[in-house]
Order: sequence, then structure tokens, then C-alpha cells
Amino acid sequence: MSDPCAPAAPSPDLDDPLALAEYAAGGAVALTDAERWPTLDEAGAARLGAVARHPLAPTWVHRTGDRLTADGVARARTPLPVDDWLAGHLATARKLPAYRRVADTLGDLPSWPTVTRDDLLDDVSAFVPLDADLDRMIEGSSSGTTGRALQIPDDIEEVARSFHLLVRLVAEQGIHWRPDPGRMALAYVVHQRQAFTYTSVISSFGQAVMARLNLHPSQWPAAGQRTGFLLHQQPQVITGNPTSLAELLQPELVAGLRPLALFSGAMALSLGLRRDLERAYGCPVIDVYGLHETRPIAVSADGGPFVILDRRVHVEVLDASGRPVPAGQRGEIVVTAGENPLLPLVRYRTGDFGRLVDVAGRPALADLEGREATRFLALDGSLVPSVDLTQQLQAGGARGWAVHQAADGSMTAAVVGGDAAQIGAALGRLLARPVTVTTVPTLLDLGEGKPRRYESLAPGA
Amino acid sequence: MAEGPVPFWRRLTNSAGLREPDRNETATNTTPFSPPADRVPRPAAAPEPAVTNVVDSEALLDIWFAREQDDVIVWRTCLPGASTAEIATRLSLVPAAFLADDADVLQLAENILETEYGASGTTPPDRRRQEVLQIVDQVRATGSRAARRGAALVLWLWASDDLNGPLSVPLSPVWYGRAIAALSFRLAAVVDPAEWVRDADRRDEAARTFLLWSGHLPAGEDEATARSILAMRDSLQQNTALAQTMADHEHRLQVTKRLQEARAREAAARYSNE
Repeated sequence: MSDPCAPAAPSPDLDDPLALAEYAAGGAVALTDAERWPTLDEAGAARLGAVARHPLAPTWVHRTGDRLTADGVARARTPLPVDDWLAGHLATARKLPAYRRVADTLGDLPSWPTVTRDDLLDDVSAFVPLDADLDRMIEGSSSGTTGRALQIPDDIEEVARSFHLLVRLVAEQGIHWRPDPGRMALAYVVHQRQAFTYTSVISSFGQAVMARLNLHPSQWPAAGQRTGFLLHQQPQVITGNPTSLAELLQPELVAGLRPLALFSGAMALSLGLRRDLERAYGCPVIDVYGLHETRPIAVSADGGPFVILDRRVHVEVLDASGRPVPAGQRGEIVVTAGENPLLPLVRYRTGDFGRLVDVAGRPALADLEGREATRFLALDGSLVPSVDLTQQLQAGGARGWAVHQAADGSMTAAVVGGDAAQIGAALGRLLARPVTVTTVPTLLDLGEGKPRRYESLAPGA
Repeated sequence: MAEGPVPFWRRLTNSAGLREPDRNETATNTTPFSPPADRVPRPAAAPEPAVTNVVDSEALLDIWFAREQDDVIVWRTCLPGASTAEIATRLSLVPAAFLADDADVLQLAENILETEYGASGTTPPDRRRQEVLQIVDQVRATGSRAARRGAALVLWLWASDDLNGPLSVPLSPVWYGRAIAALSFRLAAVVDPAEWVRDADRRDEAARTFLLWSGHLPAGEDEATARSILAMRDSLQQNTALAQTMADHEHRLQVTKRLQEARAREAAARYSNE
């Protein structure tokens, strides 16, 4: 008998020239439920089934769990100790294959070379400890917004622990977030043409239900389906990026949803959108700065500087030659990150820029650049988020790019690597307007910062 | 054996920098091969000056590891082949000219691939031929004397049928590229190919390595036996300085494999944008 909770069988949309196979429903389903949720009890399964089979539920693309064992559940709830973590972290990193030939020259942090995303692209395994427990490895792909997709070895328990970081950040706002059997614990919302969507239980949070939802209208064919589903689930906390969170300003959602807090990530949250969301929902809006490679780095709960999190993360701001800039001066944000045991990074260049400042005695990042939320104006007047372009650029094999839309709507793109003709055709279809694609030889030819640039000067974008 | 010049050599001398050899001018002038265990110990000949150092060895190994060959799979797919004695004997008979510093190994490869297969109607597919030539060109580009000699010895093994008759089990051109890369970059990185000719144990190691990457188990041995003997002989595994390089390579293979498996086995639930 077929599992009514399971996503539909893989069926790429043959009529859609922009459909990507990995987003076909059921295309990445491989585990059993016992493997997805080793501790799932009857009540948790019932809650999960109720969401998965809800009459207004979207077609789930994916089925995924947190894979936590009973021991893992306990560990996920506990933050890693941070006392003197950096010394131990450097000792671990010194034994990485990446540093084997220079290990003797590596002393305290300033003596270490910086690492770039390209270093990880070249050989991520060189940054995975030789004695790492690969049985805990899951694959994360940083494909959302930042250049050529990078396969990242994530740790099951670290990913689960990141949920409890959100719980603590909510608590810091004076709000006690605890499981409510009548509500979805968390809705992670995206708004893009194609995305992985799923529902799961959070094993370490009373087996409450969460879901990754795509708010794009194409995913909700029935009138009122999206609003109806969200209002019925009443997510306690909603996470997303500025593009998807902006969708929450729809009046029918504002009228019915009662979140405890909203989290924004991945892209810069404008002050205007922050204020609109705060007014609409009367709850904290917490902007989290982090990269998949480094995990969360800093947060801003008030629109001011991003306060560095009290966890295994150390932030420096360096100039182009790798030297620390004077206090308070602008430079590239470089992060030493020790939360993910499978990827202990030392001095990772984020490609983002900012200033290191002091906020109430804690280090913080001000004037953060590099996370701009960009949308492009299609010929039919619709606004297309940059992540939709990212998917097509990556599918075309580009390693980096700069995409520009002029005030008159005309589009140009410079790409490094990939099939320019394929990319031009895909972007042209996406925006229903021609896109002139040129190739440049190296990422450096795209300029300072991340290996992707999006800019739109079109009205309303 | 014919007394006159061997046509084989006339073809090979074309642009390859090889002189027509005296019949007895082998690299060793030793007696034909006997199994290492049966040999009477004798004083080792004075070794040639070391031509590889650690840096050079690591550079060669990097090239080999970049090919991402999985020896577990190779062992599993091996078919019965010639005996190590047959291969080792051929190694011991290598003409000295093959190991000469002025031999143009790329030209030698072109000539051997042409003479061995060009006229017989069994020409390997062009892409195989090109693969071998690319590897030999890579050998030449390293500037490593050891790698060049390693490649030359493999070329000799392929060419020697013309002088010494066919092997008891023919080699498959499908694995020519893999075999010449293994001996030029992996084995030559840790053992000077001159030793493959001169030293019985190293000759046995070279013969076994050649058979493995040519897709064959030594005649009369099963996989477990062949693996065990080669592991015992494997100079790379016994070289402490380079063992870490090999461990890094195996780690890379393992992480890459596990990442691919993890991708196929689904991600895990995530809770926010990063």
C-alpha cells in the first residue's frame, strides 16, 4: 500500500523547460521513516501525518527527517561548550590534510592562512578531519545564493542543534517557545520557482512538526490553499529570507497568523521590511547572519549591528592582503567556525564585508554588505527572486556570475564557466526577455566579494 | 633466434632516440628471472644515485591520486592473467636503451602503439591510444627521470611480445592508460624503476603492480592471495613519509564517496536560511 504521507512519484514537468530534475517530487527520497525519525512515537507520527495529509497541504517534493537517535536528541539540545574552544579547534585543524604540509608553521590564529570558498570547491575533503565520524555525515549543498554549488559535509547533530539555537534566540527576546501540540512548531518558508519542500518532526522538541514550505503561487493551485494551510497550522515561529517573509505581509495572513518570532537569513533584511513585519505581527524579527559553511555567525534583533553569537565562532575583519584592519574599519569578514565537527574551518573568507564594532561589550558586525536581496523585473511585470536565476546559472555550469538589470529592464550577465548559450536561454525564458550572456575567464574578473553579483535597477525590483 | 637486425627495432628507433641494441645489451645483464624466494642472496649492485626525493615523489603521487582510482574496485574486477614470473622476466630483459636518459618516451609510445597495433587490425580505439599518449606526455612534463623510466618499462612490456613472444594471457588495451599511470606515477614515485630491473623483490612488486592495474590477477593466485602478497611488497605502504599522502588520498576518496551517498540518501530537515 502506498504511503499517503510520501511525496508524489518523481514526475518532472515535461512541459516546463525550466524544470530541474532534482526538484521533481519524490526525486530524492531514499530512506525509511525509521531512519528519518529513529525515536518517532505514535503521537509524533500522528501529528506528522496530519500535516502531511492535510487537505490543503502542498505537494511535498521531499520527505526528510532529522535522523536523531535517542542519544542524539539529548546532545542536540545542549550547546557545545565554548570555554577555550579555539585552542582545541586549531589543534584539530592542524591535523587536517589541507594543512599537512604547513602544519609546523601554524601557531596561533593570525599565523594561519585564510581559506576561500574555492579551496572548498577544489577539495572539501581536505578540510574534513581524518578521524571524523562519517556515519553522521549528511550532504548540504550551498546552492541558494552564492555561486557554484558547494557540497558541504554537514553533521546530523549539528544541524539539529541549530534548531535549539533558534529557541535560545527567541528566549533572549523574553519569549518562551515550547512545543504546542496544536500548532506547527516552525515553518521554514521560501519563495522561489522550484524548491525542496517537506514536513518533518523535530525529535528534540517534543516531536513537534515543522515544514519547509514554498510560498510561490505555483505551488498552491487551489484558491485560498496557501492561506488556509498556514492558518490551520499556525506556525509558532517562521523562518525565511526577505523575499519569502515579504509574502507574509499579505493581509489575510497578517489577520490570521500569530507567530512568536520571525527569523530572516541568507540575504539582507531591509529596515523597511523589518519594520513592516514587526508592525504586522507584533513579534521580534531576528536577522541571522551566517553561511552554510560556517553556520550562524551573528544576529540582529533590532536592525542594528549583528552581535556575534556566543558559540564556536570567531570573527575577524581583514584587508585584501589578509591583514586585520584597524578596529572599526571596513574589511572582509573572515570566520573561524567550530560548530560543525565535519568541517572545522579556520579563517574562512566569507566574501562579505563589514566593520567590527562593540555593542554593549560584545563584538558585532556593522554595515554588513554582500547579502543584498535582489529581484528582477520580468517582462510580464512579475518580480523574479535571484535564487531562481541561481538555480538556472548553476544548472548551466557557471562557477560565478554578475547579473545586471538596467533601469529599462534590459539584462546582461557575465559568467565564469558553464554554457553561456544554455544560461542565456534559461534566463531569457525565466524573465521573458532577452539576456545577453558573456563569459569572463576567472572569478577575479567579477570583482571583489562573493562569486555572484545581482543588481537590478528596474523600477519596483 | 634470428641473427639479423630485428625489424621491430628499426621501427622503434625512428625518432625515439634509441640505438639498435645488441641482443645481449639489457639493462641488467643478469640471469633471467627467478622467483625472489628462490634466489641466492648476493651483494646488491651499487644503486644509481637517487633520482627522486620526497617532493618529487609527492608530486608524482598527487598526479596518481588525482586520477581517483579505487583499487578495491580494480581488485574485484581482475581476471586471471599471466604469471608474475613472466612479467618479471620481461622486465629483467629490458634493453638498456629504454632506460637511457636521452630516450624520447613520447615518441617511443607513439611508435610502440603504432607498431604493436597499427598494422595488425587490432588497433585499440583511438581514444585509448590518445589516453596513453596523454599520460606519457604528462610523464614527460613532470621532468621526473623516475616517471619517465617507469613509463618506458611499461612500454617495453607492451612491445616485448615482438621479441619474446606473446604472454600466456594477453593484455587488454582497455587498461593500458591505467597501467602506465600506475607504474609511472605511483610505483616510480617510491621505487626507482632501475630497481624494478635489478632487485628481485622490487621486480616482483613491479610485475604485480603492472598485472593489477592491467586488470589481471597473477596466474595461479586468487584475489586474497594476490592482495596479500602485493600489500607485503608495496613500497608506498611501507614508506612512512609517503604513507600520510596515501592516507589523505584514501580519505578524499572516502569523503567524496560518502558525500555522494549522502546526497542520494536525502538531506536532513533544516530550520532556516543560511
